[in-house]
Amino acid sequence: MTEFQILFEQHKDLITIAVYGTSIALIVIGLYAVLMKKHLIKIVIGLSIMDAGIHLLFVAIGYISGGTAPIFSRGNENAGARMVDPVPQALVLTAIVIGFAITALALSLIIRLYKHHHTANIDQLNSLKW
Amino acid sequence: MVITPVHYIIAPLIAAFAIPLLTKIHKDAARVVPGIVLFYNVIVSFVLMKHIREHGMISEVLAGWQAPWGINLVVTPFTGYLASMVSILGFIIWLYGFRFKRTLKGGEIKFYEILQMMMIAGSIGIIITGDIFNLFVFIEIVGISAFSLTAFYRSRDGAEAGFKYLLIGGFASAFLLLGIIIIYTQTGSLNMAQIAERMPDVPQQMKIIALIFFLVALGIEAEMFPLNGWAPDAYSQAPTPTSATFAAVVSVAGVYALIRVVYTMFDVEGVNNYLMIMGFVSMLIAEIAAISQKNLKRMLAYSSMGQIGLVLIAFGIGSKLAVFGALFLMLNHGVIKSLLFMTGSYFIYNTEDKKIKSLNGIYKKLPFVSFLFGLGALALIGFPPFSGFWSKFYILMSAADEKYIFLIIGILLVTVIELTYYLRVVGRIFFAKEEGEPASHKPSVNAIIAMSSLALFIIVIGVYPDLIMPHIQSAAEALLDKSNYIQQILSLN
Repeated sequence: MTEFQILFEQHKDLITIAVYGTSIALIVIGLYAVLMKKHLIKIVIGLSIMDAGIHLLFVAIGYISGGTAPIFSRGNENAGARMVDPVPQALVLTAIVIGFAITALALSLIIRLYKHHHTANIDQLNSLKW
Repeated sequence: MVITPVHYIIAPLIAAFAIPLLTKIHKDAARVVPGIVLFYNVIVSFVLMKHIREHGMISEVLAGWQAPWGINLVVTPFTGYLASMVSILGFIIWLYGFRFKRTLKGGEIKFYEILQMMMIAGSIGIIITGDIFNLFVFIEIVGISAFSLTAFYRSRDGAEAGFKYLLIGGFASAFLLLGIIIIYTQTGSLNMAQIAERMPDVPQQMKIIALIFFLVALGIEAEMFPLNGWAPDAYSQAPTPTSATFAAVVSVAGVYALIRVVYTMFDVEGVNNYLMIMGFVSMLIAEIAAISQKNLKRMLAYSSMGQIGLVLIAFGIGSKLAVFGALFLMLNHGVIKSLLFMTGSYFIYNTEDKKIKSLNGIYKKLPFVSFLFGLGALALIGFPPFSGFWSKFYILMSAADEKYIFLIIGILLVTVIELTYYLRVVGRIFFAKEEGEPASHKPSVNAIIAMSSLALFIIVIGVYPDLIMPHIQSAAEALLDKSNYIQQILSLN
């Protein structure tokens, strides 16, 4: 075991709390930005932060402490019980791509909005009402 | 069997990548190829429906992994019915829009056709998939195409409506992902049938938290109150065939996802009442908002939300008759609302603004289109010789069976409201004093074929409802028979 792994084993609970706490904090920060900020770009940044928090939460759920990469190799056939769950990682990869597409589309829409209304403040975009 | 459910998804995806290349060869390829693909989907629907009538449901395994581990596509009488309906309506909407967009430049028409095709393909994907993460991916495919199409016209306020829709859609996807995380941690599976099988062991509070995430996320696509703020803007700013697609295809897929989650995956008490109350509130508010609209497309959008509310009420009642009525109403809503959007757009084309008050006496200019609009309006309200009557009738019957007196009163009251605002428009079209010059935009031949086939459907099903009822009957049975669904999926392959 390297020095880092020993350190990791000693503070396992702390690290778990830190990872989960970070992901929840990212989600809350993102929600705050989406709901409270007035600038369109800031809103999109908030959406991205919220997505990042959810992705982190998803990967953290699949992790088991001291786990190995989910690959069966020769001489390591019985590693199944100690592997981290590969499904959340695969799902998060997909979700990251989708989040990227949404962000890119949102930014291009903001450019269009700015050309049309000459403002990026969400309060001044009110040509559509009930 | 040569044709399998995966053709629904593969054909549009291949075409979407091929269209930019094919336009280099011939500039009309962008308009023709989506039509071929959508027509192929109609053929796939007929073949699959015939197959499941003879051999029972299909669960197709992708990439060789068996059902609980791999992604499976499921065609039961229920999903097959909705997928056929969506693909047929998608093809008719393509037919309508074939020459409508001829005025656009080469590049723009390409994007329009690709996005429109992907939106329909994604909706079919939502309906036939048996895996919740796959459902999420398809919802995002539909979402991204829908956001882009809403912002398609640079000259209108499309970007604003599109951004609003995107923001709400981004929220929906985040919530859906959170719901999937909770479900995955609790059941260790992403397959709908296996989740449904393991759901009784999940702690109650986890179930409710996950269900709330799903209801919020899918309620946005299904236009459930109070998550439908995007709908009137998106419907009114998008190109007309897209508005018709939102009403006929996307909202049907959204309602399907909501119903699949509530009916099959979760077994929470009281969620039916929630659906019923939310459906009622969204119906009432949407219909009241529709009265005060001055813009024709916005009025139709609110009316569409009202119809979806009625569908949710019927699914909330939950008896077999009510589910039957709800599925019938989904079909009617798709057909009639597409017809209203298609005809309404020709009125808008021939007036300077999109206001209802400038429709005065347009009957003289566009007699055939006006006639079809009147027919659609009457069918939507539920006048007896048309198909809209039967769906409303069955929903009212089921409400009477379960003794929901207030629901019956509410639905009838809302029908009166619908009557008021549709007849106000129809009255202006037919009986108000004519003004102005003759029509500058006559409907093209393909648009007339598309609109007439929808109108023909309304009349034929209105007179002979027995033509379609056996299909809806078996669809309703397939939806309600949850244990059969689980068993078939997990042991079929």
